[in-house]
Formats: sequence, C-alpha cells, structure tokens
Amino acid sequence: MSTQTQSPSIALEYVKTIGIVNNGYNGRGFANPYDTVVGGDGRIFVLNRCDPARASAIRIGVCNLEEEYLGEFGRGNGSGDGQFVWVVAMALGSGGRLYITDEYNNRVTAYDTAGNYLSHWGVAGSGDGELSGPAGIAIDSSDNVIVVDQHNSRVQKFTNDGKVIATWGSFGSGEAQFNLPWGAAVDRDDNIYIADWRNDRIQKFANDGQFLAAYGESGDGEGQFQRPTSVAVDSDGFIYVADWGNERVQVLSPDGSFQFLLRGEATVSKWAEDYFASNPEEKAERDVSNLKPDLPPHLNTPYHISSQTEPYFWGPVSVTLDQSGRLYVTETNRHRFQVYQKR
Amino acid sequence: MISNDTALMAHLLRRAGFGASRDELERYIEMGYDGAVETLLNPSDPGNMPDDLIRRYHVEQSELRDLAGSAAYWMYRMISTTAPMEEKIALFWHSLFATGYAKLNQARALLNQVDMFRRSGLENFEDLLVELSKDPAMILWLDNNENHGEAINENYGRELLELFSMGIGNYTEDDVKECARAFTGWTLGNAEYMSIRAAKDSIWPYGRIAWHFEYRDKDHDDGEKTFLGETGRFNGEEIISIICKQESTARFLSTRLFEFFAADEVTEAGEKVIAEMMATYFSSGYQVRDVLRTLFHSDYFKSEDARFARVKGPAEMVVGAIRMAGNYQNPALGIEKVSNTMLYMGQGLLQPPSVEGWHEGSEWINSGALVERVNFAAKELSNLKSPGVRSIIDRLEASSEDGVLVPSDLADRCLDLLGPIQVSDETRSVLVDYASRRGDLDLNSHEPGDDAEQRVGNMLRLVAATREYQLA
Repeated sequence: MSTQTQSPSIALEYVKTIGIVNNGYNGRGFANPYDTVVGGDGRIFVLNRCDPARASAIRIGVCNLEEEYLGEFGRGNGSGDGQFVWVVAMALGSGGRLYITDEYNNRVTAYDTAGNYLSHWGVAGSGDGELSGPAGIAIDSSDNVIVVDQHNSRVQKFTNDGKVIATWGSFGSGEAQFNLPWGAAVDRDDNIYIADWRNDRIQKFANDGQFLAAYGESGDGEGQFQRPTSVAVDSDGFIYVADWGNERVQVLSPDGSFQFLLRGEATVSKWAEDYFASNPEEKAERDVSNLKPDLPPHLNTPYHISSQTEPYFWGPVSVTLDQSGRLYVTETNRHRFQVYQKR
Repeated sequence: MISNDTALMAHLLRRAGFGASRDELERYIEMGYDGAVETLLNPSDPGNMPDDLIRRYHVEQSELRDLAGSAAYWMYRMISTTAPMEEKIALFWHSLFATGYAKLNQARALLNQVDMFRRSGLENFEDLLVELSKDPAMILWLDNNENHGEAINENYGRELLELFSMGIGNYTEDDVKECARAFTGWTLGNAEYMSIRAAKDSIWPYGRIAWHFEYRDKDHDDGEKTFLGETGRFNGEEIISIICKQESTARFLSTRLFEFFAADEVTEAGEKVIAEMMATYFSSGYQVRDVLRTLFHSDYFKSEDARFARVKGPAEMVVGAIRMAGNYQNPALGIEKVSNTMLYMGQGLLQPPSVEGWHEGSEWINSGALVERVNFAAKELSNLKSPGVRSIIDRLEASSEDGVLVPSDLADRCLDLLGPIQVSDETRSVLVDYASRRGDLDLNSHEPGDDAEQRVGNMLRLVAATREYQLA
C-alpha cells in the first residue's frame, strides 16, 4: 500500500480492491455496479445496474471490507413492486431505509438493509413531486431525501415517505441551472452538492435550495471536469468528485480549490485471487504482462487508456465515504470498487 | 413525376449513405450533385449521438464487453450520423477485411478496428493496409501473433494477398511465405496473456482488457526476401508498398468498391468504370476517396442502369428504415434488439461468418431473411408516432389539394417520400388498388393515430413490403 498523492492538508492511501465481474445471475461479484453505500455496521451495499443480457439479475449485492460476500437482494427486472430497470444511485436513511433511484421507472424504491422491499414513490412527469429520470440521491440530517430529477433539470427534496418539500432548478448553465444532473451529496452542515453532469461542474446549495457556489469547468486539467457523476463531502469539508469522463477522482478543498487526483491503482481482490488459484496458466501469463502499457496515439484518451490499463479507474461512476474516512470508488466497467483511507 | 435531381440524389445517398428522408434529401439537393459527392467523401463533423450520452444510459455500451451491446453501439453511430459515408466506408471495409467476434471474444478491439476504418478508410490504401496489419484484432484473428521469426505462420500473409489486396492467381506460394516472413514480430501487447484470455473467453477478474499493437524486433525475420520479383530485407511496410504497385491490386480494390457502391453485377459498362477507377488509383497515389469520386461521377453510376442494381444489405435495410422513421435519436432500451434483428437477416455486425466476409447481393435474400426484412421495415415505417412518419404525413397533407388525396396520389406520393422508389407497373397497380378500397383520403382535421393517418401508415407499410424496397 502506498500513499498515492500528498497535499498539505489531506492524503489518501490506497487500501484494497473489492470485486470481480459476475457473469451470472447471482452470487459473488458485481455486474456493472453504479453505486456503493456503507452501512453503520460495516456492510457494503453495491447497486448492480446490469447490462441488458443480465437484466433479470439486477440486484443489490452485500459484502464487507474483509471481502466476505454476504448475499444480495432485489426482485428482478421490471416495474412491479421492488423491481428495477435502470437503477442509478442509493442512499441510506434512518432506520436502515435504503433508497434506490430508477431512471427508467421514474421512482424511488425503499428496501430495508435486510433486503425487504418497503415501498416506492414517484410518477413520471414534471409537476411537483413528479420525476423524470431520477438519478443521484442523498439524505440530510432531518432524514429528508434529496433526489436529482435529471430530465426535469431540478432537485427535489422529499420527506422519507415521498412527500415533496421543495423543488429548485431549471435547464441551463447559469446558477441553479442544470444539464442532465446526476450525483448528490449532503455535507455536515446540510448543504447540498449536485454533480451537474453535462455542465462539467459541481454546484453547492444551502439546504433550502439557495445557490451558494459552483466548482469546476470543462476540461481535463486540475479542477476541471469531464462529466462528473458523483460527489461526496467528508467531515472536514473536503469534496470528492467522480470525474467520470476523465476516468479519475478529484479531491477539492472545502472552498472548491483543487487538492489532488487519483487515477486508480487496483490490485487483485480476494475473489480475483480465488479465480487465479484455479486458473494458474492464466495467472502465469498475467504475471509477466505489462498491465500499464504505452499506447499508440489514436488510443490516447482517458477512456481508451483505462480500457487497456487494468489498475486504473474505468467508469468511476460513484464516490462514497464511510464513517472511518474511507473512500469507495465504484467502477462500472471493471465490476469492482477501490478503497482508499484518508490520512 | 419524380424529378431527376431528386431521384439521382436519392440514388447517391442510398449508396454513399443509408438512404435519406425527404428533409435530408433536400439539403443535399441544395448542394448540387458535385457538392453532395464532396460533402459525402469528406466527412467532417459526424454529429452522431455523443459517446457520453450513450455510456451514461447503456452500461453495456460503455464497457463494450459483449457482442450485442457493441453491435448496438455501432448501430447508434449509423443511425445518428450526419456524415453517413464515414459509416458506409467502415461497413465496406468491415465486410472486406472481415474480422469476427467468435474467435477473439473482444468486441472493444473490433470497434477500435472500425474506428480505424472510419479514420483511414477513405485515405491512402497503402497506409490503410499498414494500419490493418497493425490492427490487434486482425493480428489475433489471422494468427499473426503466432507468426515468429523462427517459425512462420502464413495465415495473415496469405489472406493479405488473396482476400485483402490482389486476389488469387496473382502471386505464388513462395510470395506467400516471403510475405509472412516480413510480418514476423508484428503482434499485440501482452500477446500471450491476451491470447489465452481470448481462447478461454475470459472476462476475469475485471472484465476485458483492450488490445494494442506491439512490434517485437527480436521476433522479426530481418533476412533477405524475394517478393513479387523484388529482393531486399523487407519488413511489412515494404511488402505492402510492393503490393500496392500491382495492377491486380488496383483491379481488386476497384472491383470491390464498384460492387459495394454501384452494382451487384459488373456489366460491360461496369468494366469500363472499373478501368477508370484503376487509372485513378494509380494517378492519385492509391487514394480511396479519389477512386470513389471517379465512380460517383461516372456516367454509369448516374444512369438508370445503376439504380436499384443492388440488394440492400441488412445494415442498409435496418439503418435506412430507422433513419427514415427518425427513431433512436436518443439512447433507449431496445437498441440491442434492433441489432439482433440484423443478425436474423444474415448480417450480425462484428460477426462476419468467415474471413471472406458476407456473401452479398442476391444471397442476402432467402425466405427467412426476407420475412425479417419485410416485417422490420413495414413495422418501422408504419409507426405513426415516429417523427419521420409524422413528417411524411405533414408532407402528404401539404401536397394535397384541399387536404384530399386520390388513391393514385396516395400511392405515388408515399413511393416518392420513401425514396423516390421506382416500382414496376404491376407493383404500382397493387398499391393503387389497395388505396382505392377506401376511396379518396381526406387528411383535413386529421389527428394523431386516427383513421386517416392509419391509412397512410398502411400504405407506407405496403410500400416497405414491395420487392423494389429491398433494392438500393
């Protein structure tokens, strides 16, 4: 384990990689994970978006930091109670209520952490409380549920049983305007952060929706973003951004200034070790391979580099923090998450 | 009466594109024929559906691990591009330099190859063959990773000469061996690991790892070689340079381009055009774009003889119908099913049946494929909610007298707006008879999906089911 990058005030140390691709319908491994949430008891919930070939396997997988696979739950693909089509994000509310957004079904579904379906709310539309492509989701200190209402270019705040409390935002690139927003986070002061995906920035709001600040611009430089998908804020106010289009994670100081970035340094997970133990000839060739190759110029984009460089993030769609200062970076295209420890 | 300008432009767009809606056709007509040819041959901004949108909603098209999602990803490009020649030339090379998923288990590498066809497919043929020889998918497909200085594997060398450039009968077995020797050491990065993963179809532990070219100097046979009468310590580039000088190469390339872009059968008049294309091949320094320009400007290509002289391939059939209907302009569930439909018609993108590619022309048509083709086009073009169909209804109304169309006008105008399509007297008679069953069509006060619109939908469905609609 090594310290990837240092700054005067914050550093992140790589801890481990958890996951393996799951090609089947259940069991250990992940299928295009889109979000990760960590419970107070240390259980890690992983939202498997699943590709169309495995749509019937859509589910939430459960594991822990010790890389034990603890099971999974869900009711499969569809629009019935507890079913999903295009899941996007999760948030854990009080009483162990796990909220899951579904941008196809236009609703928020609640399960408990034992895997029991509880309820869902949301109908398609653009009126107050109606949803069009719900994406990111977060919980504030009053147990209100913040939902990014993607195609309506707005944020909506609901009670934990789905009654709308507040709505703000419109389409555009000005303050409090959005273009296909995605991720959401709440800080310790109950401010709300939105990953304004196609505007390549993070917007910060007071809990009542008042615009406070915007961070970032389009690009691949420091403090610039390419389609940020997810944001998380730690107890010291540092802001973690899944800079998805640049295939990296950036860390900003509480005032939004750039601190450092992560490109990923995945290693072989416990589950991957098990695979190689039973496939030694593949392991032998892998061990003498260069998994960080130099590439020809036409493949020199973050996406192509990540597709060829297994340790790097590829499709880093979500950043999540736990109560111990650990950062979890979920990678859709690599079916795993990388864990970092704040120092 | 169909104007010749419109019919000629529609013909060009069926060949250098996937057909055109009337709006698109009118934009090209404004350019004039010469301007349209240049616009098509010089694709700039393709304006296709952005990758970020596709990746956001289609995880399978972000990862590009499996065949279905990867084929659908290419379909989105074909459907949404405003530079259709870029996709059409990629499709041409994909069929000629046929490389398939079944052996590789690596769709990303195939799509990188398609990207190479987009990037270089209209440029210098010599450069294209060098890129092809360095293409990781091609290397593994034809075993060049097993072509070593100490022990050659002739597979790629043989197909380069036979299927990709000169054609059989224009070289000797010794030339094949010398060609193979020149390509020793041309392999892919981590070749042994990637090869074992491909053979096992391994996606573990973290999905596929994409491929890139690697040259291994130590594995290259640097000795003297005699190839097609020339002697030297040739590497692959020099071999390709010699290949491109051959008349047989000019004939091979020109003929294949003619068959794909002009007519399934090469007539005597066609032979004359091919000779002109061969001359351009040499005078331009092997520029594919210039060879095609010669074709598109030939009297033969512009003549009635070349119209509807090709059977639409499944990609042309499916993409053409979707573009005409204006569907799938945004990421949507179900696109992978559409790409599967093409497979049922006999052309699965990224999965040609062999290194020889697809057998085209009349071989596209068999009873099963024909049913798929008719059903798909008829369904797509009769969906009254589709933007392209709505546009057709609007145009029918605007062209009618007081909102009323007599049966023959309904048939003729639908044929016009879906092409223009030239049909036999017999076919037209069937269409007019069908339209006549309900008398004149009154489009006054029509509402979405009402009976009047249904009649238009039914006529469009019937046109899509004609023999003539199967032809490009």
